[in-house]
Amino acid sequence: MYRYDDLDRQMLTDRSNEFRHQAARRLSGEITEDQFKPLRLMNGLYLQLHAYMLRVAIPFGTLSTAQLRRLAWVATTYDKGYGHFTTRTNVQLHWIKLRDAPDILDALAEVGLHAIQTSGNCIRNVTADPYAGATADEVDDPRVWAEAIREWSTVHPEFSYLPRKFKIAVTAAEKDRAAIRSYDIGLHLRRTRDGELSFEVMAGGGQGRTPYLAKTIREHLPASRLLSYLDAILRVYNRAGRRDNIHKARIKILVNSLGVEEFARQVEAEWAQIEAAEVDLPDTELARIRAAFQPQVFDPQPAVSPVFEAAKAADPEFARFARRNVHPHKVPGYAILDISLKAPGETPGDASSAQMETVADLADAYSQGEVRVNYTQNLVLPHVKLADVPAVYARLKEARLATANIDLITDIIACPGLDYCTLANARAIPVAQAIAKRFADPERAEAIGELGIKISGCINACGHHHLGAIGILGVDKKGEEYYQLSLGGSAGADAELARILGPAMSGQSIPDAIETLVETYLAHRQDGERFLDTVRRTGLQPFKEAVYAVAD
Amino acid sequence: MKVLTANSLTTGEVVFWNAGRWAVAFNDGQRFDGDEDAAGALTAAEDQPRMVVAPYLIDVEDMDGHWVPVAYRERLRALGPSNHPQHGKQADGDADVQALAAVTSSARSTGRIKLIRR
Repeated sequence: MYRYDDLDRQMLTDRSNEFRHQAARRLSGEITEDQFKPLRLMNGLYLQLHAYMLRVAIPFGTLSTAQLRRLAWVATTYDKGYGHFTTRTNVQLHWIKLRDAPDILDALAEVGLHAIQTSGNCIRNVTADPYAGATADEVDDPRVWAEAIREWSTVHPEFSYLPRKFKIAVTAAEKDRAAIRSYDIGLHLRRTRDGELSFEVMAGGGQGRTPYLAKTIREHLPASRLLSYLDAILRVYNRAGRRDNIHKARIKILVNSLGVEEFARQVEAEWAQIEAAEVDLPDTELARIRAAFQPQVFDPQPAVSPVFEAAKAADPEFARFARRNVHPHKVPGYAILDISLKAPGETPGDASSAQMETVADLADAYSQGEVRVNYTQNLVLPHVKLADVPAVYARLKEARLATANIDLITDIIACPGLDYCTLANARAIPVAQAIAKRFADPERAEAIGELGIKISGCINACGHHHLGAIGILGVDKKGEEYYQLSLGGSAGADAELARILGPAMSGQSIPDAIETLVETYLAHRQDGERFLDTVRRTGLQPFKEAVYAVAD
Repeated sequence: MKVLTANSLTTGEVVFWNAGRWAVAFNDGQRFDGDEDAAGALTAAEDQPRMVVAPYLIDVEDMDGHWVPVAYRERLRALGPSNHPQHGKQADGDADVQALAAVTSSARSTGRIKLIRR
């Protein structure tokens, strides 16, 4: 994986020192809160309901074990002993004190972690396929390109004050595991018929109050031209994006008001004027970055592991874990192992410091020292020998990390909601906990099959409710926490926005309503259909009737 | 009735105004009967930018002999997050906290005044 070089490290140290002085000037009264707030936000430090929150970037969701251990140490030393992994593959620490923040940034900088560009109207943390470098269905490691984008976009002087925040996601696999169509720019790397790497460039996606799926503005972009083309997109957006209305400032509004053809035309025109040699990645730089993501050396293993097969046969719980959380690796005899942060009753995405330490230990012992963060708020051990899976499982189980529910009804995405966030209208976490407890029986959850529930505590949609097979949006209805259900959303290759089912309901009614939706699905399900497939085939009507007949 | 609240500058902790000082427990906050007194306290609080960030007034009401914020957002601030009952002010679990916790689920949010926005 990519290690920060001297330039990266110097920048982090400088930035941390700069923030230390800014914080000191705020504390001494030399600068006002209005002056300080944008400075602390540029360093990922928000003031939330109960304390400051520090959002630490995890570029393309890839963590070394040293980084994960440092996060655990920071959480123990300066927070309440846990971190919250987000749908942007960042980690948030919810109980930070301003006076500690400079020391924390120093401690993070030592391991190449930081909070730069995790807030503000700039290019935010770049995300990628969490199975990058491990999955068989990719044409290249997307992190090579995501790292190039990180280096290009970090403290980019031209793109530090955009009309609004800007998010880029990259995948190089046929199956989209990075929700790229919900991004300002989604990049899908493929190989052309003559073997060249080429991006399908999508722009104008986003969630929030006006959700759009990104639209393709260029089918084939030679991969070597990526940075100049991104420059062109950002320039068109920077010039034409609205700055008069925060709700209309994202690129999705520009793309959809101009029309995708006109937007693409303007990008091409801008691109034609860019001196490519000054912007595009030189081959030597690409080679340097690529070397950092050299495929690991994998000891040859038999494709079928007797140890793994025997463990499945002996222990039905382990067999379930193997079915749900263990996925094919590009190398025979290896597996990609998902670690669910969704034990029923727990907060989705939370991991205690002890759990982080356990995952780091396991990654060192069994996964080539690498950990991934998935936007679904789970972790991934990307390179585990099949023969080691039983041992990993045993350790995960001790740490309450072996929940076998990936993509099932209890694998719920939830934003922090009104329990922490100043923007929220309603809580999201307790709703997730109540649903997960209702469906805690793993056999039943598996019988129901793949079903993504996604919960946001406000219209900003950090909990991806527009992309849930069942989306739940918290609203403030006449002064009470109410929840609006929507159905049929999906984030993957078959991305689609969920549609609203009907009037909002109270939080207490939600588990029963979900139960009704599930029963309706099971009654209508045809062979092999997921919940999403049934909703797409039948439409919302049977679900609407069932839920609101009960509610009446 | 109103209570004046803010977050501490150095720690971010939720604090409540009482006669020129800041208390950490909601029940130690001063309650204002008249709008004028409340507005005066707010002005005084805004003159303490090295102590607190973004002071604002909230509505409170008497429920069964206990003063509680009207808004559930403010009840969560006065208690702590509902997913971690051991975190925040609710951790000490005294009678005031229990009374506040008991009514939080049925709260209304109309008490928001000068809501903090990022």
